[in-house]
Parts: sequence; structure tokens; C-alpha cells
Amino acid sequence: MTPLSETDPHDPGVSLARAALAGDTLAMQDLLAHLAPYVARVCGPIALDGGPDAAQEALVAVFRSLRTLRDPAALYGWTRAIAVREAVRVARRDARARPAELADVPAPDDPELAADVRDVLTRLSPEHRAVLVLRDLEGLDERAASRLLDIPAGTVKSRLHRARESFRKAWSA
Amino acid sequence: MSGENGWPTAELDDVRRLRVMAEAIPGARVSERVLPHSLDEVWAVMGDLEDGFGRFQPDMRDVRVLRAEHGRVVALARSRFGMRARLEGTLRPGWCWLQSRFLIIGMAAAPEPGGGTRVAVTGGVRVPSRAAIVPLGARRELDRALTRLETMF
Repeated sequence: MTPLSETDPHDPGVSLARAALAGDTLAMQDLLAHLAPYVARVCGPIALDGGPDAAQEALVAVFRSLRTLRDPAALYGWTRAIAVREAVRVARRDARARPAELADVPAPDDPELAADVRDVLTRLSPEHRAVLVLRDLEGLDERAASRLLDIPAGTVKSRLHRARESFRKAWSA
Repeated sequence: MSGENGWPTAELDDVRRLRVMAEAIPGARVSERVLPHSLDEVWAVMGDLEDGFGRFQPDMRDVRVLRAEHGRVVALARSRFGMRARLEGTLRPGWCWLQSRFLIIGMAAAPEPGGGTRVAVTGGVRVPSRAAIVPLGARRELDRALTRLETMF
């Protein structure tokens, strides 16, 4: 799935957002169906087991504050920012609830690539996972990622370096 | 669950989607139960608008489907007080969302990890043409509907 358009006013999501804002609940459910896979893709690698909770809470935040979205053409960037924020929050909450699990990470020797990615992600903090998702999955540059996460570009760079180093070590082990 | 390139992705089942819809609609409440039956068995009742649906929704006396294609449905509903509504919306296994000018009806069902099927309902009297529900008695009606549904298996 490629990142969704940021600016196209004829994009179906933008039209649905306009209709939803006008009170059409069928447009709301169509917009939900349209955004849910995108939000799930962003929340999954950051919140891991808390992904479904994070995706649900992110979409609640998106729909509750839809009225504050001045320009519906900015829908996807705005949704992405909310999804990352909620995923980091849920991941932090889960880490506090289960701190012992972080020390008990399985070795990344599973033959399945999917298991490897997940295992390496589990070794990173939610903030590092967020940087990795924005840069490597969403294709944002360092400045855009730093703006979205509200951290300096240098911090994005160092977190990304550490996250990629974790992947490199896992696959060369 | 994993997506492209092995990156884990989250899964948002239909009950979670219904909760999102209800949170976004002022006045909406959600009532949920876990039934000890499969999704197919549960949806055979909930998704049958002309029969099962009318038997567990307390206010519905008669529903007639006028058109159903590509997951979209148009139905005429008559309440036990005689009021009529032209409902339009989506109907597919696990998900039903219908609206008329004066009504909103939402239903969802998803397999429960511990076994059985979680069902959720929302809706009620719509503030005309707006994404808002008159909250008076909405929760009680939803609970009554699910209590009736439980007795239908």
C-alpha cells in the first residue's frame, strides 16, 4: 500500500470527509472504511500488540475532531499524525503495564521474515518505532518526521540510526 | 497480523469500527454482548433485515428491502407506532449501518478471541439529517434489543 495522496481535492477520502462533516453518517462509515487500513498500517508496527486499541483510539480521535480539520485536503497527513501519536501513547501505556516483557524478547531466529520484523521492533522503544515507520514505511524525510513528532531533526536522525542498526544486527546475526 | 514486507499491521474488527462510529456521533451509545454462537449463526439473524432484525429490534414491526446490491441496501421500515422510514446504508456479514432522515441503526459482530461472537448495536432517533442521536432512552432500547437477540438461539 503506497502512502495516500496529501493534496488531491478529488480524492475519495476528501469528498467523504466533506459529506461526513455535513452530517451524513453513511459518508462517515465509508470514510471509516477508507481510513481504517491506513491507520492500522501506521499503528501496527508502533503499538504492536496494542495495535487494535491504538487504531481504534486514533480513529475515535480523528472522527471526534473532524470538525477542527480546516482543510479536508490535509486529511491524510492529519490522520497520520493522530495515528502516530495514539500508537506511541498506547505502546507506552502497554510497556508500563508489562515492563517484564521487554527483557524477555525472543531471539530473532524465526525463519519467517514477518516474525523477524516484529521481534526487532519489540526491542525498540515506541519513539524509535515511530521514527522508523515514518521514514521507512511512510517515506517522510527527516524534517517532516521531526515536525510530526515534535522533536529536533537531529533526534530523528539518531533514533533512525539506532533503529536501523538494530535491524542490521538482527539480520546479520 | 502482518502486512507488506512483514511489517505488523493492526486489525480493526467490525465491533471496534462500530465503537468509533458511536464515539463520533453525539448522543450515540453502544450496547455489547458476547453470544456463545458462531459469527455465521449470529449474523444469519442480525443481518436478516426482513425477518430476524425485526424480531429483536423492539421498535421495528415491519421491514421490507427494496434494493440490495454491492453491499448497499435500501429498505422501508415501519415502527410499531406506525411511523415509516426509508433506510439506506450498508449491509455485509458482520456490519450493518443504516440511516434515514429520522433514524440511525448500527450493528456489528466479530469473533471473540475467547470463543463465541461479540455483537454490538448503536443508533436511535436521529436529530433530523444530522450526525447526532437524541439520547433519551437510547441505551435502554439497545440493551432490550440485545436481550431479545440472546433469546433467539
